[in-house]
This record gives sequence, C-alpha cells and structure tokens, in this order.
Amino acid sequence: MRRKLVYVIGIVAVAAAGVVYTLVADNEPLLGLDLQGGASVVLEPTRVATPEELDVAVEIIRNRVDGLGVAEPEISTQGANILVQLPGVDNQQRALDLVGQTAELRFRPVLSAVSEDSLDGADEALLESFALSEGDVAADAEVVLPQYDDDRSIALRYVLGPTAVAGDGLEGAVAQFHSFIGWHVAPTFKPGAEGIDLFNDVSRRCHARGSSCPTGQVAIELDNEVVSAPSVQADNAIFEPFERDSITISGGFSEQRARDVALVLDYGALPVELEAQQSQIVSASLGTDALSAGVLAGIIGLALVSAYLLIYYRLLGLVAIASLGLSGAMLWTIIAWLGESQGLALTLAGVTGLIVAIGVSVDSNVVYFEHLKEDVRSGRTLRSAVDRAFPVAFATILKANFASLIAAAVLYFLTVGQVRGFALYLGLATILDLLATYFFMGPLIGLMSRVSGLYTHPSRFGIPAPPAQQPGAAS
Amino acid sequence: MCLAGGSIVTGRRPGGLRSLYRGEQQIDFPRLWRRALIGSLAAVVVSVASFGIRGVDLGIEFEGGTSWEIPAPGTSVAEARDALGGTGASDAKIQTLGGDTLRVRADIEGPEAVDSVRRALAELAGVTGDEVSVTTVGPSWGAEITAKARNALLAFFALIAVYIAVRLEWKMAVGALVAVVHDIVVSVGFYSVFQFEITPATVIAFLTIMGYSLYDTIVVYDKVREVVGRVSATGRYTYTEMMNLSLNQVLMRSVNTSITSVIPVASMLIIGSFVLGAVTLQEFAVALVVGIVVGTYSSLFVAAAVVARMKEREPAYVEIAERIRLRGASADSEGTRTVAADDAVLGSSAATKRSTAARKPASAARTSTAAAIPPRPRKKKKR
Repeated sequence: MRRKLVYVIGIVAVAAAGVVYTLVADNEPLLGLDLQGGASVVLEPTRVATPEELDVAVEIIRNRVDGLGVAEPEISTQGANILVQLPGVDNQQRALDLVGQTAELRFRPVLSAVSEDSLDGADEALLESFALSEGDVAADAEVVLPQYDDDRSIALRYVLGPTAVAGDGLEGAVAQFHSFIGWHVAPTFKPGAEGIDLFNDVSRRCHARGSSCPTGQVAIELDNEVVSAPSVQADNAIFEPFERDSITISGGFSEQRARDVALVLDYGALPVELEAQQSQIVSASLGTDALSAGVLAGIIGLALVSAYLLIYYRLLGLVAIASLGLSGAMLWTIIAWLGESQGLALTLAGVTGLIVAIGVSVDSNVVYFEHLKEDVRSGRTLRSAVDRAFPVAFATILKANFASLIAAAVLYFLTVGQVRGFALYLGLATILDLLATYFFMGPLIGLMSRVSGLYTHPSRFGIPAPPAQQPGAAS
Repeated sequence: MCLAGGSIVTGRRPGGLRSLYRGEQQIDFPRLWRRALIGSLAAVVVSVASFGIRGVDLGIEFEGGTSWEIPAPGTSVAEARDALGGTGASDAKIQTLGGDTLRVRADIEGPEAVDSVRRALAELAGVTGDEVSVTTVGPSWGAEITAKARNALLAFFALIAVYIAVRLEWKMAVGALVAVVHDIVVSVGFYSVFQFEITPATVIAFLTIMGYSLYDTIVVYDKVREVVGRVSATGRYTYTEMMNLSLNQVLMRSVNTSITSVIPVASMLIIGSFVLGAVTLQEFAVALVVGIVVGTYSSLFVAAAVVARMKEREPAYVEIAERIRLRGASADSEGTRTVAADDAVLGSSAATKRSTAARKPASAARTSTAAAIPPRPRKKKKR
C-alpha cells in the first residue's frame, strides 16, 4: 500500500521534473530534415578507408559545413559510410556538392598545353600524347588533365609534371574581390620547407624555363582538373621568391565559386575520395506539411483512442490515458534532450514509430484490464482481483514488450538510415511504457481499488458485476 | 468499428456484443481454424503467385535513380511529361499523389541532369527550385540497404525464436514464426496485387507488422500457458479445448488492442491521404492497417492452431483425447467441447500463489508438463 503510493508519487515526480527541466533548459526536439526541409547525403569511400581516415574526413566535412553556416548539422559515420544531414540549409544542391568534394589541391609545372579546338582532326600521335589521365590521378607522375570552360566542356588540355606542392602545404585560404581580376582565392602557404619553399622551388624552375617547366606555367589542379595555369613572369632575370600570402588563384570565378573553393582549401582535402550513394533534398514546405500532418494525425488518433478507452473501461480508461500521458511526457523530455545535447533529430520515421507506439502502450493497459475483468467474473472481489491480476498481466506485458525491444535493437544495430530512427523511438517508447505500467498504472489502480465507493462498484471500472448465474449458462 | 470480434460474435448468437463485453462469449475457435486454414492458404497462394508473376513495385531507394516531388495542384501527368521533354527524363515515371503532389522518378543520377529536371519541374509549377524535393540513390546503395535489411530480418527471426523457446516453449516459437511469415507474405502480397510502391517507409511498416504480430502472439501464448497450467490439472481436457478457452478469454483484449492500434494509424491514413497530401504517412499507414488486421487474425487463428496441432501429438494429450473419445463425451461433429466453468477457475488460487511467489517461466513450464497426471474420476456430469 505504502509502496504503491511511493511508486506513483515517485514516477509522477520524475516525469514532472523532466518536463520542468525541458522547459527551463529550453530544450526542443530537433526536427529531422524530412520534417523541416534540408539536405542529406550518404558518402561512401571509393576505396576501402581506415577508421582513422573516416574520422578525419568527418572532421573536415564538419568544418566545411560550419563554414557554410548550417545551424545543426549531423555528420557521422555509419559503418564504412559517412552520413551528412543538413536540416534547414539553403541552396541545398550546392551544400551537398561542397560537402562531398575531395578538394585535392596540387600545384604542378606545365610541360605543354593544347586547346581542345586544335585537337580536331589532329593526327593520332598528338591525340595519344594528350589522352586524359583516367581515375585516381597520380600525384608524382606526368599526367594529362583538362581545364573546363563555363559550360563544363573541355577548353584546354595540359600535360603536367609531378606535383610540386599539395594542399597540405597551405595554411588557409580566403575568397577575395579585386576590381581588376574579380573574385579569386588567396591562399596562405605554410612557412618554410613545408609550404612556401616548395612553391618557390617550382616557380624558380618555371622562371628559368628549364626542361622540367618549359612553358613557364604553374598549373593549379583541384580534384583532377586544372583551375588555372598562370605564368611565372620572366621579366626579371633574377627570380624573386613569393611571400607566403602573395599568391592568388584566379580562374574566372563567380563569387560563390570563389567562396566555395576558399572554403574547401581552408579545411584541407579529404583523406579519401567520397562518392554520393544517396542524397536527399526536402523542400521546407513539404517538410512542414509532413510535420503538421503527423502531429494532427497523432492528436486525432489520441483523442479517438482516449474516447474509446473511456467508454469501454471508464475509470480504468482514465488511468490508461493518464499512463499514456505520463510516458508521453517522459518521451518528450528525452526526445528534446537527445535533440539538444546529442544532435539526434526526430524524423518522420520516428514520428510514425511513436504513433504506432500509442497502440502498443494502450495494449499494456488492456492486457491488465481484461485480466481484472476475468477475475471478477470468476467471483473475486475487485480488491483481491487487483492484487492477483497485476503480476500475471505484467509478466505477459514484459514478455511481449521484450520481443519489441529485441526487434528494435536488431533493427538499430543492423540497418541504416530511416529504419534506424524508427527502431530508436520504438525501443524508447517500449521502455517508457514498461516503466509507466509498472510504477504508475498498476500501483494507481491498486490504490483506487481501496477507495471506498469504488471497489464496491466495479461497473465504475468498466467491469460488469459478477453475474448471478453461472458464466456461459446464459443463452 | 468493432472489427473481427464484433462480426463473428453477432453472427453467432443474439446479444453477442453484450456477452462479449461481459466476457461470456463461447466462440468455437478450433472450428473456425478449419475455415481460417482455407482462407489463409488462399491468401498465401495468391500472394506468392502475384509476387512471382507481377513482382513488386520497388521504389528508387532499392534500385537506384532519382525521385523528385513538388507541390503542383492541378498539374496533370501529361503536362509534366511535356515539361520534362528536353531533360533526359522523358521516359520517367510520373504520378500525382494525394491530389496535389507530383512525383517523378527516373533512372538518372548525374548532378547536372538531376538539377535540370528540378528546374523544369519548378518552372512547370511556377515555384522556385527550393520547393522541389529530390532524392538520389546510387544503384549499389540500394543493393546494400536491401542486403542489410535482409540480414537484420534473419538475425531477428533467429533471436526471437530463441527468446520464445526460452521464455515459453519451442513449439510456440515455431507457431509464432509461422504466423509472422504468414503476415509478411500476405502483406507483401497485398502490395504486389495492388502494385503499391515499396519504399523505405513501407519496409518500416512491414517491420512494425512483424513486431506487432509477434507481440500479439506472445500475449495470446502467455494466456494459453496460464490457462493450461491451471486447467490441465483436471486431466479432462485436450490441449485444443484448453486453447479454445484461452482464446475466448483473450479475445476482447485482442479486439480492443487492435481497435486502439488501428485508430491512430487510420487517422494517419486519412489525414495523410486526403487532407494534407503527406505522402510518406499515407504509404506507411496503408501497410500498417493491413498488417494490424492480419496480425491480430494470425495470432488467434494461425499461431494458436499451429501450436494446438503440435501439442495434440504429445503422448499426454494423445492419451487424454483417446480417453475422451472412448467415453464418447466428445462429438467432433458438434464442435469443440467447452471447458466447464468450475474447471476453468479451478486451482486459480494455486495459480495465484505460483504467479506471485515465483513468476519464473520455468515453474509454469513444469506445471504444463505435469499435465500427464492420472485422471480423477468424474464426480458428476457437467453440461
């Protein structure tokens, strides 16, 4: 008796404390991008990557996303893949392109160059020597790379020498505007032998127009294409070394392109090339529609279920509704906390999981109530039936809910994407249902059965009074 | 609204709903099993045949490709097809969903091509490109998640079988798995027959059906074990007869749970499809409504029947059945004998002690194997 009271008061206090905490801390559920609009992409390495490489890639992507100014990005590894979720991001396609870009920057001496037009009808030997390098371009060998024009068709082909400096020689990069050259990227090299010395070394060779750089041009290569190939001016007989921050990369950039290039250079190249396996862009209006539909469906569903429970089980129904409300309050606290501190978003799949959980939670009550009715039918008083039926019913509920938990756990650990979110919230709702049943619903009905005026009137509990004649004997 | 229970009962006896509410209904489940067997067999055959002949309509998430969705009230499929003429998506699959959402799916993955379709659709609907939702899936990705889902399913079946075998008994594990497979086959068959598209949302729904069906079956089995633990001490009833009593006792719980589970899902379906055009909700809800109805049915009619059939072959129950037959107390043509009311409550105080003192499953399992105790002489004839 006393223990029951402690249980009921205890769990109500816990739930209330959770709600107060959520309100005070101003926690709000973080909505997934399918509920508020946004973009997501699953990136898969094109070769087998080590966990360390993936971690580095995640870190770099996170920096890039922060550079874009996305409010609450979620970037994580799932198995061998990287999942990037950008809720509420503007200009979604650009964001996705930027996130997955390898951003492998290389400075190479230009051995020779030819315009695409002049290759028209050229002899085979020439075509052969300007055949574009395929696949993963070797860093320290001669390669042939294209330069594209604004329409993304090839304008020039370059034969390039081995890499002189790579992106890791940079300290940072910014986009700048100059009235003469327009938007361009201004990188800052690392000091000494790690950065600027290497760049000056290749520049000196090009200045000399030696055999390793006969054209005098230094090509700037980003992700296997030439951005631009400026000449090292040979006006002065003596080569003057460049300062760390006096180099600009100009390639007829638009403002956005300049900013994007600067952003990816600033945070360095990904350690492994990534390929988009699945990308999703959800418009903000579609997401909001889905959210309001889900919420409306939940409210209407709950209202109808409550009405049914009240009509069928009367006072017991009221307890069931209170129990549902209690686990709902705890659930809200947890979802809000997960969103605020763990960056875990509630997706549409999660919402549907929760709507389904309404039915399963109500079932815990129904199992118990039907046990009660049956015991009263077989001649027990309500009071003794309450004490007897709860352990039996709870054992059933525990068995059945445990099966749901197994399902949730298997799905959570063995699948990806939406199914995972569903499993998480199904599991969560199931555990809370068990808590609410054991600490709230059961003890509360135990207490109510002792209130005079209630136990003498089982019909107020939606339980028919024990029949006078033998059950089953009625025609 | 009162689903299966209402129609069965009102059809069988006057004032059925009232007796159902009071828990006094006496439905002859074993007799219904025979009809259910025919119905289930037919449904499974149709499902498998349809799956074999027509297959299922897999979404781009499984096969690779791109899907665009855009709110475009009043735009016809033909207009959309015209608008896509120059984009390389001219042979795309175009649907209108929920009245005002246009969905285009095509086997295109390149960013430029995807973007050109996006712009064409935005222009068609007179909105900005940001209003178009786009999902692109690489072909290997689809194969990967399908493989993952299949592995998860197999692991789940194995775990759940072990779990039920340990907590209940292995024959029940067999019955539960038969029921779940039945549900999944019939649900997938439903999707195949009507050629509804299978999306990740549908897969989630199927998984839910699975979980729901198992949950329901375990509740039913637990009741059966409780009743058998109590009634079998009399040694007078076959397993099927005790099963029948259990099912009658658990019926209202099954009906009520189905109703309270279907209500939220049905509101999802109605709101999703008619009011707001929220497509995912709608896809999800269709599978769930089918699954909940089928799941409730299968735990009462498939899972129970399988276990009863298996248990009747145990020597102890063969003996009881033989004795009853010799005494001529049972006439198969008249349907299943009901367990007398006194026997049904008999030993319930002992059951109380058992269940409160030691609720370990093992203790109850021992009780049910003790069903082979010698029969008591009948004191007087009941009903």
